Amino acid sequence: MIQVPFFSVRDLVVDYGGVRAIDGVHLEINKGEIRGLIGPNGAGKSTFIDAVTGRRIPTAGQVQLGGEDITQLAVVARRMRGVSRSFQRTSIFHDMNVLEQVFLASHQAQAKDPERDAVAILEELDLLQYADWRAGDLGYGQQRRLDLALALVGSPSVLLLDEPMAGLTVTESRDLAQHLKRLARERNVTVLLVEHDMEVVFGISDRVTVLELGKPLAEGTPDEIRANPKVREAYLGSAA
Amino acid sequence: MLHFKYLLWLAVGVLLPQLVGSATLMSLLTQSLIYALFALGVGILLRQCGLVSFGHAAFFGISGYSVALLMRDLELGAASAIVLTLVALAIVAFLLGLVVSRIPGIAFGMLTLAIGQTVYLSALKSRETLGGADGLNINWPSSIFGLDVRLFYDPASMFVISWVVMLVTIYLLDRLFRSRFGSITSAIRDNEERARFIGLHVMLPKAVVYALSAVVSGLAGVLSAIYTGFISPETLHWSVSGTALIMTILGGVRYLWGPILGAIFYFFVKEYVGELTDYWMAMLGAVVIFIVVFAPNGVSGLLMQLQERRQKRKQDVIVRRMEVRS
Ligand SMILES: Nc1ncnc2c1ncn2[C@@H]1O[C@H](COP(=O)(O)OP(=O)(O)O)[C@@H](O)[C@H]1O
Ligand SMILES: [Mg+2]
Repeated sequence: MIQVPFFSVRDLVVDYGGVRAIDGVHLEINKGEIRGLIGPNGAGKSTFIDAVTGRRIPTAGQVQLGGEDITQLAVVARRMRGVSRSFQRTSIFHDMNVLEQVFLASHQAQAKDPERDAVAILEELDLLQYADWRAGDLGYGQQRRLDLALALVGSPSVLLLDEPMAGLTVTESRDLAQHLKRLARERNVTVLLVEHDMEVVFGISDRVTVLELGKPLAEGTPDEIRANPKVREAYLGSAA
Repeated sequence: MLHFKYLLWLAVGVLLPQLVGSATLMSLLTQSLIYALFALGVGILLRQCGLVSFGHAAFFGISGYSVALLMRDLELGAASAIVLTLVALAIVAFLLGLVVSRIPGIAFGMLTLAIGQTVYLSALKSRETLGGADGLNINWPSSIFGLDVRLFYDPASMFVISWVVMLVTIYLLDRLFRSRFGSITSAIRDNEERARFIGLHVMLPKAVVYALSAVVSGLAGVLSAIYTGFISPETLHWSVSGTALIMTILGGVRYLWGPILGAIFYFFVKEYVGELTDYWMAMLGAVVIFIVVFAPNGVSGLLMQLQERRQKRKQDVIVRRMEVRS
């Protein structure tokens, strides 16, 4: 049997006017895999997520999910197929209460029991005690986790997370990483994780892709990436 | 419990005309109530979609004209003409909503203003069919929906009729907005992009709210046309849309009864402050500015805040007493 990758992106090109932010990216992720995506600021990581989730239509290339070409689909159509994301700049419903919005997201994602699903996710992310809070009244870290909760409900098939740990303390982010790993495994979710915290990425990813100036620089297991001289030079330079 | 509250308000509405001695006051109240319903239409669009319409007079006025024409030219009965008008209004507004509610903020306001003024000018120009600037006298039959038409002309009984219409409307809207549909529209208003990313189609719900808001304002237009027996382009003028919007902002939209309160407030300022000074509009303007800056939830929001504070104080007293005892 030939193994077809569950999620694949081919020759992706994304332009902002004259600026080429993604320049021919090729990426394949297996079902249930956690893939780290790292690279310096401006490498094109957020743009990549935008193109995959339908926020930006790519100039060229293909996005496939389970063998289906979803490159031209609208955002909602992609979500119906299980493509879900969180945002680098927190994006939640400020005027709604926490449980109500997570429940709505879960319901829209066609969870079998949205109420239970929503409560389970809130519990896992330590937000259950804020269930009846107005989201706008939450603290920064809680809002970050709420953004994540909105993406996690309904067992998405592909989850794209844009720096979910940004702005959290070291302990908080390590803690969140463990929750994330458990949820992904439990629900057999394929994850693309963009994150600045190297310890987190190397700690929970099965494989890691390095992006530089819109082009893939390297790909491999965390150990391989850590040892890759090109990566050390271009990106980990100061840390290594 | 909920139904009890509505029954209580029903009783208030029925009793109020008995208590009001003055005919001027009564007719003022009835007029404010009809405009209150109109403002409620404007208010739900603002509340559920965050959209500010400067053109709702079109829905208010068109429904009057439509009912008049259906009775005069197609010889429909009053009830069928009214029902048909509101159904047609819902459909047209829904289709219009699919287009206009894509347009954000100020541009939406300008577009609705333009549409409203187009309707106004068309009615003004149509001398043959719509009577031009003179408008139309409406020949109502002797009974409407089984009620003697004189009940609609008399301020006291018309007050009760409008009150009932208003209560039923608020009850239905309240149920709708507490349902999933309400959550969906709140989410879209709050953060349209995120709404799409949790899988919500954003245009359809907005168009539905737009249609609802048009029907509620149209219903007010029908009541007004029955009450006055008359319809003219004046009801379509942009300043009428503006008045409804001012009432809505005065009352606040957080609570559905906010625009109702706003309309009553507006008419009382107009009547009683207008008697004292010709500058009542300027004074009202100052009040509106005050509200926009300091009380974004309007008079209704202020009242609820006061009540919450009182309740909290009461609770604090109870807690303190218990502490003393233990
Ligand atoms: N909305 C935009 N308009 C124009 N250029 C943009 C926009 N968003 C990102 N870019 C540019 O595209 C490149 C990739 O940005 P981004 O995807 O945000 O990178 P990353 O997430 O890896 O930091 C950068 O050069 C950035 O300046
Ligand atoms: Mg980024």
